[in-house]
Amino acid sequence: MIWEIILAISIIYTIAIALLTVIALKGPTLGDQVLAIDTITYATVVLMVLFSVFFKEPILTVVAIPLALWIYALDIYVAKYLEKGDLGA
Amino acid sequence: MISVLDIVELILKFVGLGLIILGGFASLISAIGFHRFRNFYLRLHATTIGTIWGCVYPLIGISLLSITLNDLGASRWFIAGASFITALIILILAPAGSHAIARAIHKSKTARVQPCIADLLDKDLCG
Amino acid sequence: MSGMLAELIIYLIMAVLGIMSTIAVYLAIKERDLVKAVVYSALQSSFYAVLYYFLMAPDIVLVYLPVAVGLVPGVLLILISKTERWEKNEAS
Repeated sequence: MIWEIILAISIIYTIAIALLTVIALKGPTLGDQVLAIDTITYATVVLMVLFSVFFKEPILTVVAIPLALWIYALDIYVAKYLEKGDLGA
Repeated sequence: MISVLDIVELILKFVGLGLIILGGFASLISAIGFHRFRNFYLRLHATTIGTIWGCVYPLIGISLLSITLNDLGASRWFIAGASFITALIILILAPAGSHAIARAIHKSKTARVQPCIADLLDKDLCG
Repeated sequence: MSGMLAELIIYLIMAVLGIMSTIAVYLAIKERDLVKAVVYSALQSSFYAVLYYFLMAPDIVLVYLPVAVGLVPGVLLILISKTERWEKNEAS
């Protein structure tokens, strides 16, 4: 019974990712596009860890940590470009 | 005969499943909220719901759930530890990143405050 | 029965991700504001990383992520800050 619940929750996360992609592609300003990409990526991390429990493979969970770290770096790049005009290189 | 270990396993399994289901609903509500809010500064609320309630709590729930599953063998402790560390990393990094974006957008005057009552930091942005 | 349903759901998720990444690439090519094009490119790379994960290659995901999501948008933003932000319309 647990495996069916895990599959149903992963479908809910995919629907949330699809709804958020519409904002990331069309959004009025640059800021809410970056916020939508942030939320899409963190939902993708949960999807990956859920599927690694479902497939019964523990090696697939190490992928989740670099995703969470590098998408924070993208936030800092865009914020520094908008505030100062150059990235100081 | 019911021992203490069985009761602990049952509690961990149901708390873990409850947290995962809560996270799924919160992520769906955050995705709908992105469409319904009117300007950029209101969408920060939807981002907070989507990252903290939708992605930190379910990872703690997966960590608690996978301790009780005996099908995974000895590697269930690895999955539990890795997903708990990921929950801590998202808990620290997501608010810092969205605060940096919000400060940069306000300082560079990219997004106006559209139904505005008062903007005390910068009077030009009140729409 | 549950095995076939699980495979169908996984193929459906991969198909949805493929369609969304194709739309993101098309918009990245046609966009005139170069900062938004960098953002579209980072979104497409994020979807490709999930596709590689479903094809059971976690080492390729670990290499693809820092290059396409972390370093290439950084280098492109340094490049944009030193030249122009809006693409000029070349009447050809």
